[in-house]
Amino acid sequence: MTITADGLPQTISLDGVRKARVNLTQARIRWMVLAVVLGFAAVGGRLVQLGMVETDTTIEGQTRDAITATRPPILDRNGLEMAVDIRVPSLYAEPRRIIDVEEAVTKLRTVLPDIDEKWLRNRLSGDQGFVWIKRELTPAIEEQVMRLGIPGVDFITESKRFYPAMNEASHVLGSTNVDNQGIAGIERAMDNESISLLQDLGLARGNALTPVDLSIDMRVQHVLHDQLVDAMTRYQAIAAAGVMMDIYTGEIIALASLPDFNPNDPASALVKDTFNRVTSGIFEPGSIFKTVTLAGALDEGTAKITDEFDARYGVRFGRFTIDDFHGKHRILTMPEVYKYSSNIGTIRIMQTMGKENYRAFLSRMKFDQRVQFELPEMRVPSVPKDFSEVGAATASFGHGLSVSPLHMLTAYAAFVNGGNYIAPTLYKRSVAQAEPLYERVIRPETSAEIRYLMRLNAISSGGSGSQMNKAALGYRVGGKTGTAEKVVDGRYSSNKVTNFFASAFPLDNPRYAMVIMVDEPKAENPQSGTTAGWNAGSLTGRVVQRVAPMLGVAPDFSQVLDQSIVPPEVRRIFPEGY
Amino acid sequence: MIRRINIFLICTSIVMLVGVYMLKFSIESTATERTSLQSHISEQEDELTVLKADWAVLNQPAYVEPIVRRHQAELAIDQVKQEQFGSFADLPMRPAKPDTAAMDALFQAIDAGIDPIDAILELEGIE
Repeated sequence: MTITADGLPQTISLDGVRKARVNLTQARIRWMVLAVVLGFAAVGGRLVQLGMVETDTTIEGQTRDAITATRPPILDRNGLEMAVDIRVPSLYAEPRRIIDVEEAVTKLRTVLPDIDEKWLRNRLSGDQGFVWIKRELTPAIEEQVMRLGIPGVDFITESKRFYPAMNEASHVLGSTNVDNQGIAGIERAMDNESISLLQDLGLARGNALTPVDLSIDMRVQHVLHDQLVDAMTRYQAIAAAGVMMDIYTGEIIALASLPDFNPNDPASALVKDTFNRVTSGIFEPGSIFKTVTLAGALDEGTAKITDEFDARYGVRFGRFTIDDFHGKHRILTMPEVYKYSSNIGTIRIMQTMGKENYRAFLSRMKFDQRVQFELPEMRVPSVPKDFSEVGAATASFGHGLSVSPLHMLTAYAAFVNGGNYIAPTLYKRSVAQAEPLYERVIRPETSAEIRYLMRLNAISSGGSGSQMNKAALGYRVGGKTGTAEKVVDGRYSSNKVTNFFASAFPLDNPRYAMVIMVDEPKAENPQSGTTAGWNAGSLTGRVVQRVAPMLGVAPDFSQVLDQSIVPPEVRRIFPEGY
Repeated sequence: MIRRINIFLICTSIVMLVGVYMLKFSIESTATERTSLQSHISEQEDELTVLKADWAVLNQPAYVEPIVRRHQAELAIDQVKQEQFGSFADLPMRPAKPDTAAMDALFQAIDAGIDPIDAILELEGIE
């Protein structure tokens, strides 16, 4: 406190010791507060900075989860594995952590000598965070590389697809690439449906994925594949294919096409001619199409099964005359037209319903659109929008239009199952699940007549399916042959043919339909021919003989079963039935 | 009084300190154990996938058939023929009455010391 007084000399005023100390303390506290605030600010700033850092967890543009993602196992209808995941180590490097590139290159090449030295050096130099060196190795190699102790080189466990059946179901399964994405077949179809989404979300890890049940029966698939391989050598064919379907559920029991590929080696799928002939091959079906024509006319009611057709002379269209291959040149009843595969008779039957109605029937049977099916490898059939007179005539016996064997199979299935079109599927499905999808295309009575015609063709003398029936006696198989001449240099060639056999069994209570194709077959021996009955036909017989017991179809030789499917009105012209 | 409380508090905190550190170290060792177990499990799962793939291969019809073909001659097996299938309907019905005469004859023969099974065994070459 200062004391001032007028008239007095100015006095010296001093702060008390106590006050000076208080001031000093306050200054110190201020400095301390500042230091603490700065300290906290530094810590906070660092925290914000750390929060801003984005660590690069991707592996060459893909998330780590996508690399290690698994695919669900694929099982056949009996639970046998058709595709499984195996976990394999893959070698990668982090170039920015590699200290001595030269040393790393030399050491790695002691274990993996097939890696190019220059490529590896380029790969390991640089500042990248992640590069693959070699993917999908064995645990033994992993052990050896780890023992080298190179810094910046490590392994990651990847899932690799493995197909234990090798080539057998190649066209059904398709294949996957090194990143575990489906590139063909059902693998690709599955990706399009849901799995790729799961993988992207990182949910598809571990072994928790529910297996996918296919409709394929691997035993039947094996027999079909085996027989097709046999046919390729037996008939020196350039290709062969076959497909079998459950006619009530639409499930595909077996599907094979040769030449094929090994799905474990996806590069082999790129070889020419390995395409799936059942779904993405379109062919002129030839005489197996006559069944369609007859079914159409019978269903429209324009022709009856007891009607007779004049097949004495060829049918003339301007300059062209269409004649029969094995001409009988007499008046034929409808069962005879079918049995002798008469082109003339079939044209006459088609003409009863008229070309517009016939074309409409082909649309009803869905011959002018893709078959609704899971496999992505599908081709649009080529069926003219409108038929000319001659176009309709040739179409009635399967020339001038191209459809896939799968089209023929679904049509035959509808013809024998009581007249319901059911789209085929590769997933397991029960009859109850399939029934809501049924689409009525022909009447049940027509279906019964077609069954009779197909069986007649197999057991009647002179029927074109008799070669087939030799091996498959007792299994009540019936079907139709089709020998389609190929167009070579703009002309139909008689020695280059595509042969088909479309069949169903057991015809007294049909359950399975099958279409077999043999492309450009040669005669097995000098006594045999090159028409469909000799190759596609007898091949069908051999397949049925082996697969029928597996499918629970017991052989039965009693005549009663065959007689029971003869329509009553046929008895008027053929009292004995066949 | 305050002095006592202080001593007590110091002792408690020392005990707590030791306890917390022990807990920390035990948790750390448990975590290490867990990690090693997890990697062991994942290794074994990896091996399991390979084994499952092997099993799937061994079950394939394509794998089994060549083996069957190889032993076809030795085992005298062949593709099943249609004639080899039978059904329950083909079996003869049980006779309405037991064949008492034949049974009597059999028992009498056994009593007399002749067992028909011996003749069959001899015929088959089994001693």
